[in-house]
Amino acid sequence: MTTLLPSLLVLVAILGLYVAARVARLGRPAREFLDAGQGLPGWAIMVLMPGLVLAGYGLDRHFVLVADYGLQAAHVGVGLVFVAFAALALWNRMWLAARVAGLATPGEALGRYYQSVALRVVMMGLTLLFALPVAADLLGSAGRQIEGATGGVLPRMAAIWLLAFGLAIPAIIGGWRASVLVLAMQAALIGVLLAAATVLAVILSGGGGFPSLPIGNAEGILWDRIPGVIQNSAGIGKAVPAGGIFTTTGIASTVVALVGIVLSPAALYLGQTVRAGSAFGTGSVWLTAGIGAALMVLAVPVLLSLMPDGMLVAATGLFGRAPVAAGGLLLIPLLGNILAASFFVTGGVILLSREFLHRYLLPGLSPSGQRLSVRIGLGFGFFFVALSASFAPFPSAVLASAALPLAVQMLPAILGLAFLRWISRGAVLAGLVLGMLIVVFTEPPGLILFEGLFLDVPWGRWPLTIHSAVWGLVFNLLLVALASAATARDPARFERARLHDAMLRQGGTSPGAHGLLWALALLWGFFAYGPGAILGNTFFSHPIFSRVEAALGIPSLWVWQILFWLMGVVLVWWLAYRVGLGHTRDIGTRPIRLGADEVLRTPDWLSSGLARVIARRSRRRKPGAGPVDGHEARREPRRIRIP
Amino acid sequence: MDDGSATERLDRHALVMAIWLPLGFVATALLHVGLTGGGAWWIGAGFAAIIAAFTCHVIANAMLGTSFTYGETALGAVAYAAAVLAVLATLLFASEPVAGRILLPVALGLAALLAAVILYLVIAFGARGAFERFDVIRDNNLRAASRLPHRGGRR
Repeated sequence: MTTLLPSLLVLVAILGLYVAARVARLGRPAREFLDAGQGLPGWAIMVLMPGLVLAGYGLDRHFVLVADYGLQAAHVGVGLVFVAFAALALWNRMWLAARVAGLATPGEALGRYYQSVALRVVMMGLTLLFALPVAADLLGSAGRQIEGATGGVLPRMAAIWLLAFGLAIPAIIGGWRASVLVLAMQAALIGVLLAAATVLAVILSGGGGFPSLPIGNAEGILWDRIPGVIQNSAGIGKAVPAGGIFTTTGIASTVVALVGIVLSPAALYLGQTVRAGSAFGTGSVWLTAGIGAALMVLAVPVLLSLMPDGMLVAATGLFGRAPVAAGGLLLIPLLGNILAASFFVTGGVILLSREFLHRYLLPGLSPSGQRLSVRIGLGFGFFFVALSASFAPFPSAVLASAALPLAVQMLPAILGLAFLRWISRGAVLAGLVLGMLIVVFTEPPGLILFEGLFLDVPWGRWPLTIHSAVWGLVFNLLLVALASAATARDPARFERARLHDAMLRQGGTSPGAHGLLWALALLWGFFAYGPGAILGNTFFSHPIFSRVEAALGIPSLWVWQILFWLMGVVLVWWLAYRVGLGHTRDIGTRPIRLGADEVLRTPDWLSSGLARVIARRSRRRKPGAGPVDGHEARREPRRIRIP
Repeated sequence: MDDGSATERLDRHALVMAIWLPLGFVATALLHVGLTGGGAWWIGAGFAAIIAAFTCHVIANAMLGTSFTYGETALGAVAYAAAVLAVLATLLFASEPVAGRILLPVALGLAALLAAVILYLVIAFGARGAFERFDVIRDNNLRAASRLPHRGGRR
């Protein structure tokens, strides 16, 4: 294993380098380094969408949870259908906004639509959160896995730096297009390996394991059922919920938190930079809700039941009989971490460069200068990620824990841009502040900080077994609704309505008109992973309308999961192909101008600070020259007017 | 400077690699188990993975309106020829038990692969068209004008 796993990783790195070099040799305009000319191939998004959701949630973490909590943790897999639903609806509209109004990045889209610099700053903060602590946490996990698999021959820190180097080079050479192509290949590899490893494990074990045997789980955990609708628990770290943490509200709120991956800035940017076609439909219906959810619902419980001592022990045992397969087994969680880390860093650096560097610091930079700046930024980005993963794994993990729920708090803002024109800027900002505060104080960053500085709070993480994403989102949405009602006469609504009208003209579809779909979606959600899922515990083994006991041979909850997964695929198919959100087509008109003309200028505090540094340098260079006052030397900020 | 077609070619190339990378990996793992003592079923499963990858490649071609490139055809032919040579070498040099154990399933797998390629050619080009793609003897007139349809050109 010591030689095999690093060799496989080297092969993956060489593949990335090859694709990046081929992309670079195309000689496309420098501007396309940042966004692939908004022409990413559809197949890449189709394959990357489920891979990104699985990897962003954390395959290794999910494996541990399923191994400990059994089917109640695996029930989150059904939620992939809901994530596909959200991705389809929101990415389609963000794509359309990018074409209709020339809103090239998520930050620009929200900033210009709501005329708010604060929202741009929030998006930049989220981008940084995903690009640094989240990526560092993922890379640190990958380093630990490699150290374990090689028996310490390749230490964690060395593995982290080698991985960071291997990921940085293709991104620096090939930019956004090469990164997405390489990551799509890795996503395909993860999916096929997961399916193949499950089949192989079942055959080699002689058909043992789940469902004929229970999934190896911790003591006191109900492995084959959901432990209630909700539990009066103070939260993780304060109390232990009886039977497990995945109550129906726990599952539903975790599923909502998963939507944070779709709402992360880099993921939204991915959706904006794909070329027109049916990528969203195929990717969400067949690959995410279909194959991705199938792997989570069907394959993961079976695979983990055959590995009671963990994946590493199982792979080591398999190595004697099938070494290549053992390497493939270890590659699954490892590639998941690598994929997500690479995606968040590359997308994050590109977005931060476009949103901050090219907009405020160096607004007049030429396209080739922008490309160079992103290349340098990518180098620094991967360097700092490796640095954080190596020397600050704990702070990275603590900060990373809040990333998904914080991203979910952007949902009202994005819903406003995508569908609900009555949501106003003030409402979004007020809801965002409240939601984010609640998230921070129900997740480790706020809890650790507050309890370290002041006093113990009576709640822990996930109070009442509800994920922090939903705690924040409920209050966020409530405040948004109230504040939007109060600001219904806001004059800015006319400007917002222009975008919606233009999108309706181009998109030609109004999802709000499909009442039956939304009613069925709510009903499905209630029974699939909401409170109604509690019926699945015994529905097929002890039917409620009969005294007959059915001997299925498999847990009733598993049948429930499979049934509602299949129903969910039909719902996503409806949204994609009947409502029409699964297909995008190029618009033939010029983009509309949204809001007032923007003046790109460096902020005064920034330009004056730069001027002071420059003045000090020139003073050192020219000792004969008179003293230069920083204020006197301050140049007029460079202004560029863009339509 | 690329006019866009090179980008589309590269996107297709990446898609083809995304198909062959995972399925090729699985095929390698299965064939390794089969050839090192696993038995005929593992070898058969390995060839099934290769045929699955080939089928996905054909589907990708159909979706994108493309065909196999010269490079892909050459790579496939060389790999196939190498596999046939390896089988012959095994027949000549390997011990009898080893040769007896792996020869039949590998030969059947290679035959199935060939059958899959022929089936694809027949479906894609028809029986006559598939044959004409290899019929270089009749194209013995090297003048460009001989390829014009009214002079009997068939390309």
